[in-house]
Amino acid sequence: MTSMVEGMSRPVQADRSRWPVYAALALGLCVAMLASLTLGYKLYGLDKVWAALFAHDGSETATVIAGLRLPRALIAPLAGAALGMAGVMVQTLSRNRIASPDTLGLNAGASMAVVLAMVVFGVGSLGGLSLAAAIGALLTSIIVFGVAAGAGGLSPLKIVLVGVTFAGLAHAVVEIVLTSNEAQLQQLLFWLSGAFVDRPISLFFNGLPVVLVGAALAFTLTSALDALQADDATAASLGVPLLAVRGLTFVAVSLLTGAAVSMAGPVAFVGLVVPHAARGLVGLRHRHQLAAAALVGAIYTTLADVAARFVIYPVEAPVGAITAVVGAGTLVVLLMRRLA
Amino acid sequence: MDDQMANRIEVKALSLSYGPEVVLDALSLPIPSGQITVLAGPNGCGKSTLLRAIRRLHAPQSGQVLLDAEDISKLNGKALGRRIGLLAQSPSAPQDMTVEELVRLGRYPHQAMMQPWGAGDDAAVAAAMVGTGVAEMRQRRIGSLSGGQLQRAWIAMVLAQETDVICLDEPVNHLDMAHQLDCLELVTRLNKEQGRTIVLVLHDLNLAARYADQLVFVADGKVRERGTPETMMRSDLIDEVFNVTAEIIIDPVHKRPICIPHRRS
Repeated sequence: MTSMVEGMSRPVQADRSRWPVYAALALGLCVAMLASLTLGYKLYGLDKVWAALFAHDGSETATVIAGLRLPRALIAPLAGAALGMAGVMVQTLSRNRIASPDTLGLNAGASMAVVLAMVVFGVGSLGGLSLAAAIGALLTSIIVFGVAAGAGGLSPLKIVLVGVTFAGLAHAVVEIVLTSNEAQLQQLLFWLSGAFVDRPISLFFNGLPVVLVGAALAFTLTSALDALQADDATAASLGVPLLAVRGLTFVAVSLLTGAAVSMAGPVAFVGLVVPHAARGLVGLRHRHQLAAAALVGAIYTTLADVAARFVIYPVEAPVGAITAVVGAGTLVVLLMRRLA
Repeated sequence: MDDQMANRIEVKALSLSYGPEVVLDALSLPIPSGQITVLAGPNGCGKSTLLRAIRRLHAPQSGQVLLDAEDISKLNGKALGRRIGLLAQSPSAPQDMTVEELVRLGRYPHQAMMQPWGAGDDAAVAAAMVGTGVAEMRQRRIGSLSGGQLQRAWIAMVLAQETDVICLDEPVNHLDMAHQLDCLELVTRLNKEQGRTIVLVLHDLNLAARYADQLVFVADGKVRERGTPETMMRSDLIDEVFNVTAEIIIDPVHKRPICIPHRRS
């Protein structure tokens, strides 16, 4: 076969052609993070930002930049990257392009854990609530995985059904607690809508290692996830250990979502929207899907966080509300396209 | 031919049930190396289950499947994936996956954690696409392909696995006549030119008789009878297995027996 030689060079070239995409995304992320540092209730020039980051002089500029803007300029992209990668894996796991970590009930479970921690166990510190959110997401994934796997085989449909059911249950618990605890309503509502404002930088350093572990696990699963995009019989006949891969994917998803929720609360729909953009840019191989989703997710939440400062200026909107509006719009477009 | 030496696969007294329903009942079947074996039989006779059990997608209650005299239950998933390829009945993948992305999936059993993708993988993918005639549509999304093109893309995926044994479960379902022939000619070429052992499930008895070296009638979870198409295509046997009275004539072009069904008996 003479055309084989000609055919061999092409996939390699296709790999190379993605580097401009990654370079553009990396550049976009830098711009978004700079925007997050400079734009807001007060505008600062880049020179001022640079000076303030290293000044530590207690001036107002240094306090705002290093104390308020820097944490959110770091937390927003980290949470976005985590949710983007988690979204890719959830959509592959459920073979459903409109699924997201919300579909598995992870955000709802985290919210429930936060509410219960505050009301039942009297946890008040941001660090404590952050930990509660992470534990909530992890426990939820264990419950959803366990129930779905226990009910005779772990089919994509079962994962979604159990996840959505559990999410409904968790939301109900949150509603009950909210209506009966007016005193803490304001604080809880703020957490429950998801936000990057007023987060101490320590949350970033707590979340970073968890995100890195989750991402590392995700990248070891890429070729199995590629094969899992096909039906179960095909994946199994290729030699994919279905249950093990699904279990490990659940672990990666809950680490990433748990870390994101612990830093920012439930930022809705990021995991739904971002994978679509990532696939459009780099195709369906998970090595690329995950890498692109991390970058796109980081840019998306960072820009949403900047936008949140201006939509009802001078008051800050919760960033979760903005991503929810964008996500709902995207969902409608996706559904219409599917019907067309 | 020495029967024992020449069998790539040996199914031995395989029994398999879904709950109370017995699907395979102590079924035994030798699958000769380098030949095309076609499984035929009425709906629900267990032929698809047998094919899947050969690839260990179902765990049998008893009996074993030997691959080159080795019990397949002792092989790990990837090792088996390098030796037996299976194209499932009506396989599915995302509509926006490209042909090349689909074919690359076939390399999964050859990839290890430490050396993920190499020149050998590229060569296998390219050869599989060229061999099935889908190389020029490698960047197209599978949702945009016609039924015949899509089936060739899936066969390319299985070819990229580079297995000696290829199992295809009703590969010509939903294809028109021209594409049915295309598909089976392609399978025959893989067999004749590359010496691969092929196991097919086919519904159309005349296609089965035309392409089979060994034709196997499965009924009630057992092999009812097996042999060359010439010995198998008898009206009494077809009546017994399929409950159809039929006349057998010889296809003047291919010199193979074909059956003309009259009515349900």
